[in-house]
Amino acid sequence: MTDFLGYERSDGSIGIRNFVPIIATAPYANDTVKRAAEIVDDAIPITHPLGRCQTKPDVFQTYRTLLGYATHPNTYGAVVVAHAGEIVDGDELADDIAETGRPSASINIHDEKGVMNGLKATVNATREMVQDASAQQRQPHDISNLTFGINCATSDTTSGLCQHKATAGAAWRLIDEGGRAVFAETPEFFGGEEGLAERAVNDDVAQKILDYVDNWDQRLQETGYDVRGAQPTPDNMDGGLTTIEEKALGALVKSGDGPIQDLVDYAEQIPEESGMYIMDSPGHGAESVTGIGAGGAHFMIISTGQGHTLSNAIMPTIKITGNPGSAERVPEETDVDVSEALVGDQTIDWATDELWDEIMEVVNGKQTLSEVLGESQFAIHRIGPST
Amino acid sequence: MGDSHIVAVESDDNVATAIRELNGGETVTVDVGDNEVTVEVAEDVTFGHKIALEDIPEGETVYKYGLSIGYASRDIEAGEWVHAHNVESNYGRGDLAEETA
Repeated sequence: MTDFLGYERSDGSIGIRNFVPIIATAPYANDTVKRAAEIVDDAIPITHPLGRCQTKPDVFQTYRTLLGYATHPNTYGAVVVAHAGEIVDGDELADDIAETGRPSASINIHDEKGVMNGLKATVNATREMVQDASAQQRQPHDISNLTFGINCATSDTTSGLCQHKATAGAAWRLIDEGGRAVFAETPEFFGGEEGLAERAVNDDVAQKILDYVDNWDQRLQETGYDVRGAQPTPDNMDGGLTTIEEKALGALVKSGDGPIQDLVDYAEQIPEESGMYIMDSPGHGAESVTGIGAGGAHFMIISTGQGHTLSNAIMPTIKITGNPGSAERVPEETDVDVSEALVGDQTIDWATDELWDEIMEVVNGKQTLSEVLGESQFAIHRIGPST
Repeated sequence: MGDSHIVAVESDDNVATAIRELNGGETVTVDVGDNEVTVEVAEDVTFGHKIALEDIPEGETVYKYGLSIGYASRDIEAGEWVHAHNVESNYGRGDLAEETA
């Protein structure tokens, strides 16, 4: 049994951070959210271009994503800022947050008579919550409470040969301790879906894997264009990846070879049962990571070949590379350099230990490079057109 | 034993990955399963890119990780650089769907 020091929530989840996000329900609240977050130290702004003029599947997805962030284990409480009456409703979101026992506040810019009063109300609500959050102490909890997020970024041919193996090793170490892990990026299963389906715990899950992959292939074919250029991305291709299948086969290494427990939809909550899960998401890193964060992963490993700024404000993001050139070129985007396992005398087990040690420090409070540097992106995947 | 900086993942792979810069004209030996394959590198190849371990005729499958990563879009000779100029994907091919529609 291994313990970590975390923050207890009234819904039973345990956080590794104590954030207060300020969440815009639609783009017309984005500026108020950003300005309030500049004033209140430690508040996390969550802004996006969605939440309005969307069809129902996208409305559900946007709502589910925002709620996932507001009720994330690392979230103490949340302030919701709406512009006026929107299809993603601010009061409804604040009520759903309060149902988890978290503090919540709902600000409506129209009701406040405009942006100046709206900003003042947002700052006051956020300030109070941040102060209350700062009074909460970390307590010891078993690491089986933790969910491990896995994503790759700017992959190259070193990814599948080195850093993804260390990432898989660390993820399965947590699963062995009773925790859970989740990886995503369904189009990056292309060419490896048969092998992935064989790892499913039952036939239903196996069929779901094949169906999700087929759905993505159909969506891409319906564009009438060759996926290449979009996948692999130009930076992947510079790194030596030729086709989406090659990228996929390397990408799958990051999930190891153990059983797949289940698949969840984009931004859906990761189940509590221990094991490895898949979230349906695009290979677009910012969208994929945003979905994994909404699903409740406590921290995120970005397993990168060429280095990447990709990170998340609510899930601390640890970046690992096994490409010695990248570790040297972009040290500010390299939390863990395991290239000695690829080009030196070290083993993959050593690389896994290096990553695991860093994870344990981060879950106990050590800030990652992207946290210290204030780097994060937020991008909700959209399914269909705006109306 | 082959050059440790050129990696074939599975025994039926017909390409290998360079974990160092390769120079056109040099001869490299690659461990492919229990066998060793020796090829002359046809052109300079960047770190992380692939070379063909055998001749791959146009239309044939290119194997890495023991699985298809696409097909040869033209004849590829042993030792040649293998990348987007001579390999095409089998997935997400809306362009082909249109041609056959």
